[in-house]
Amino acid sequence: MSAPIPESTRTATAPSRTGGLRRFVAQPTGALSLTVLLVFVVTGVFGPLFVDRPGGLGSEILQAPSSAHWFGTDDLGQDVFAQVVWGTRVSLTVGAAASGLAILIGTALGLMGAYSRRADAWITTVTDLMLSLPLLPLMIIVTAVAGPSILTLTVVIGLFSWPEVTRLIRSNGMVVVAMPYIDGARALGAGGWRIVTREVLPAVVPLVVVSVLLTAARAVISEAGLSFLGLGDPDSWSWGRIMLNAQRSGVLSTAWWQTLFPSLAILLLVLAATVAGVRFNDSRDPRLKDR
Amino acid sequence: MNADEAALSVRALSVEFATREGPVRAVRDVALDVYAGRTLAILGESGSGKSVTALTIMGLLDSPPARVTSGSIMFEGADLVTATERTRMRVNGEGIAMVFQDALSALNPVYTVGNQISELLRVRRGLSRAAARAQAIELMERVRIPAAARRVDDYPHQFSGGMRQRIMIALAVALDPRVLIADEPTTALDVTVQAQIMELLTELRRENGMGLVLITHDLGVVAEVADDVTVMYSGRIVERGTVEELFQRPAHPYTRGLLRSMPRPDRQDDELWAIPGAPPSSLHAPGGCPFHPRCDAAVDRCRSDQPEFELIAAGRGSACHRSQEVFDGRA
Repeated sequence: MSAPIPESTRTATAPSRTGGLRRFVAQPTGALSLTVLLVFVVTGVFGPLFVDRPGGLGSEILQAPSSAHWFGTDDLGQDVFAQVVWGTRVSLTVGAAASGLAILIGTALGLMGAYSRRADAWITTVTDLMLSLPLLPLMIIVTAVAGPSILTLTVVIGLFSWPEVTRLIRSNGMVVVAMPYIDGARALGAGGWRIVTREVLPAVVPLVVVSVLLTAARAVISEAGLSFLGLGDPDSWSWGRIMLNAQRSGVLSTAWWQTLFPSLAILLLVLAATVAGVRFNDSRDPRLKDR
Repeated sequence: MNADEAALSVRALSVEFATREGPVRAVRDVALDVYAGRTLAILGESGSGKSVTALTIMGLLDSPPARVTSGSIMFEGADLVTATERTRMRVNGEGIAMVFQDALSALNPVYTVGNQISELLRVRRGLSRAAARAQAIELMERVRIPAAARRVDDYPHQFSGGMRQRIMIALAVALDPRVLIADEPTTALDVTVQAQIMELLTELRRENGMGLVLITHDLGVVAEVADDVTVMYSGRIVERGTVEELFQRPAHPYTRGLLRSMPRPDRQDDELWAIPGAPPSSLHAPGGCPFHPRCDAAVDRCRSDQPEFELIAAGRGSACHRSQEVFDGRA
C-alpha cells in the first residue's frame, strides 16, 4: 500500500542565473538598454582617467563641436565633452546612492507595512502624505538650508524618493503575506523577522531590482534639476551644472551644444534605465510568451 | 508523564470573527483532548469550525478580525491562548506542528525542498549546514520520497501532489512534535495517494508516539485511521466518542445522518441519502438547536432551547435533547 510511487516527472530544470541574463538580452530592448547603461558606467568610472578635469580658462571659447572638441567649448573655453564625462561620474554616483537609500528605506517600510497590520496604518499614512507633497520646492528648500554638496543632494533625493518604492513593495508584499506558505512558516515557529527576511523578501526581490532602476532614473533627473537650479556641488561637475553654466552665461540660444549634450546624456541614461527595468520585469514574467 | 494525561487539552474555546455585520462566533465552547499515540478525528462539513479550531491551536488566526473570547489551550503546562509570542514560537514546530491541505501553496516556491527542511533544522536545532542537509535527506527518506538524495535540491513545483504532501509532513515532523494537526491533508489528492498519505501519518504517529489530530469531512478516512471522533456542527461539538462506538451507535441525529449518507457498496440503493437542507450561516444561526431545521427527530423544544453537551455513556457525549433516545434507537 505504502510502496513509493516512482517519481520520474522532472519536467522543469532549476532556474539558473545565467539563464535569466540570457533571457534579458534576448530582446533588443534588453541588450540595447544594458549596453547603454554599461557605457555610462564605464564612462563614469574610467572616463576621468583619460579626460582632463575641465577647469581654468581656454582661448577657444564657444566653439561649435569639432574634431578637437567633440561637444564644443563653453564661454570659458572649457571642453564640454570633458565636462559631460566628469559629470557622468557625479550624476551616476548621486543617482545610484540616492536610489540605494530610497530602496533601503522603501523596501524596509514596504515589507513592514505588508507584514504588520499595526505598522501598516502609519506607514500608509506617511507614504500618502509624502506622495502628496510638492517634492521639487521641498527638495530646493532642504538642499538650500543644508548647504549644497554631493552628500546633501544624495541624502535629500533619497529621503524624498522612497514613498513610490514603499507603495510598490507593500502592495506586492501583501499578496505574499497572504500566501499559505507564510502560515506554514508560522506553524513551524518562524517569527516576524524571519518571515519578512526569508519568506517575503525573496518573493519581492525582482520588484526591488525593477524599482532600483526606475528610482535611479528619477534620482538622476532630480539631481540634474537641483544642480541646474544652482543647488549642486559647486566644486564638482554634473550634467545639471553644465546647463546651469550655459544659462548663466547667457549662451542658451547660441551655444546649443552646451545644453544639448548633457541633456542627451540625461535622456539616454533615464531611457535606458527605464527600458531595462521594464525589460527585467517582462523577462521574469512567465505569462509572456516571447519573453 | 502520566499516560492518561492529554498531551493537548482544549477547554471551552470560543472564537469570534469581527465582520461588517457584527461578530460571528465561528467556534463555541469547544473541548478537545489529544492523547499521545492516539488519533483524534474532528469531523464536520465546511464552515463547521473545525479548521478555525486548528488554526487557533496553532495561533495562526489574524487578530483582528479573529479573537479568542474564552477558553484555554493547555500544552505542557502552558495556556497557549495567553502565552507570549516567544512561547508560541517555541511550541510551534517543536510541540505542535501542522500539515496543511494544499502542499503546493504551503511550501515556499523560491527555495528547494531540502533548503526548507534544513533551514528549519539549522535554526531550531543549531545543526551545521552539512548535518542539516543530511538530516533533511533522512527525513525525506522517512516519508518515502524516492531518490531523496537526488531530489533534495528540487523545488516544490517539481514534485507531484502526493510527494509535496510528503515533504510537508517531513517538515512537520522534523522537530519531533508531540502533537501533529493534519487539516484535510488528503483533500487535494487522488484516492490512491490519499490512502498512502494516511498510512504514512498513522505510521509516523505510531513511531514517534505523537498525538494526531485529523481534521476531515471524510467518514471513510475517519473509520479507517481514527481512534476518537469529535463531530462538529455550526461551530459546536455535537458528539464525541471512540470511532467504533460512534459509528455503531450514534447519539446525535446529525452523526446518524452523516453515517446514513455514506455510500454503501453492499447496499444497492438507487439514490444516495442526504441530510436535507444546508448548514446554517454562522451569522444567522437558527434559534434553539442549530441543527433543528434539518433534523429528522426535532421536537418543539429543539426550536427554542439550545441543548447542552452531556455525557450519555462512558466516553460518549452528545448535544441533543433527544440524545438518549437516538442512542437507544428510539428516535
